[in-house]
Amino acid sequence: MLRTGEKGQREGTHSPWNCVVFSVGGRRLAVKTLQVAGISPWKPSIPVGSRTPFITSVVRQDQTVLPVFDLASLLRLHVQGSHPLCLRIKHPLGDMVMCIDEEVPVLHTLERAAVQAYRGKDLPAEGSYANGLDEIPILAISQLGSCMK
Amino acid sequence: MGHLCLEGNLAEIFVLIDEIGVVAENGNESADMSIQEQGASAPSASSLQRFLIVTISGRYLALDAGSVEGVLTIAELEKREDLTMQGVVERTVSLVMQLGNADVPTHPTTRAVLLTDRRTRGSVRVSDVHGMLEIQQSQILPLPPQFSGVERDWYQGMILFEKSVAMILNPAWVLEAHEGSDVGQGRETLCLPVDAWATGVSDGRTC
Repeated sequence: MLRTGEKGQREGTHSPWNCVVFSVGGRRLAVKTLQVAGISPWKPSIPVGSRTPFITSVVRQDQTVLPVFDLASLLRLHVQGSHPLCLRIKHPLGDMVMCIDEEVPVLHTLERAAVQAYRGKDLPAEGSYANGLDEIPILAISQLGSCMK
Repeated sequence: MGHLCLEGNLAEIFVLIDEIGVVAENGNESADMSIQEQGASAPSASSLQRFLIVTISGRYLALDAGSVEGVLTIAELEKREDLTMQGVVERTVSLVMQLGNADVPTHPTTRAVLLTDRRTRGSVRVSDVHGMLEIQQSQILPLPPQFSGVERDWYQGMILFEKSVAMILNPAWVLEAHEGSDVGQGRETLCLPVDAWATGVSDGRTC
């Protein structure tokens, strides 16, 4: 559905950040394209009764089983739309998926000068950028799960 | 008595499973359903593992065949007085799923899988018994490392089954994790419903 161009994108001190902007419960969020493995239609997840906060189910994608990070619960929101999407992200421990709104994500190139510290404390972020009056956090994927204990 | 014993009625259990579906999803090599091809590529017996596939509230679970004594109905289970005379702890474990799923109803015809280890016996009420699945050890998927809580003690891995996933239950956890709750009941032989899954519900959702 939306594939990232992983080759040729390098992060220098002044190079722009390429991000995928998506929404969960109507709230706009961003993640670096380098950390996106793919986007596909959401399939029902399989609960496993886990006690790991926000990681309580898995999804099967062909011969692969991936843990689900419940970003909507973290944000205390509900995914919007009758056809939500599956955002597969590259976590240091292995790929994870998140259920996101059905609104199709968009690519966004961000100048480094536009990146600022994220003021919120509701989710781990590498930074944020201003979009009008909104502050769009850029998710720190590596911290999803590990910071929530 | 209708005791679906692994030793005596293994073929009957094999018949229960949807062979076509299993082979289609897991591949011929992974889902060896008792028909071994005569060839050099046959997997060694040591690399094969057998699991009893059951569902509880619509979710697939796999139980290591080595820990399964058999399958009874609840009515049959209640008549089994011989087990309660052997001085072993016996308990009925109700693996209630989280997220509002209902527990397995306890009708007389509801099935219970008898589990055992060296010290303890127990039975798990299940919605359905699908049959025995034989797969290679290499096809058991590990629990993703992102799961970092006590659930790592609950599951021994995962199996691709049909179009879903069967979580491999750790029988030791099923039988022993609740011993503490049973102690103090003043009974040598216990047959207690243990809401195992409810203890695993994550209700702390703040960072």
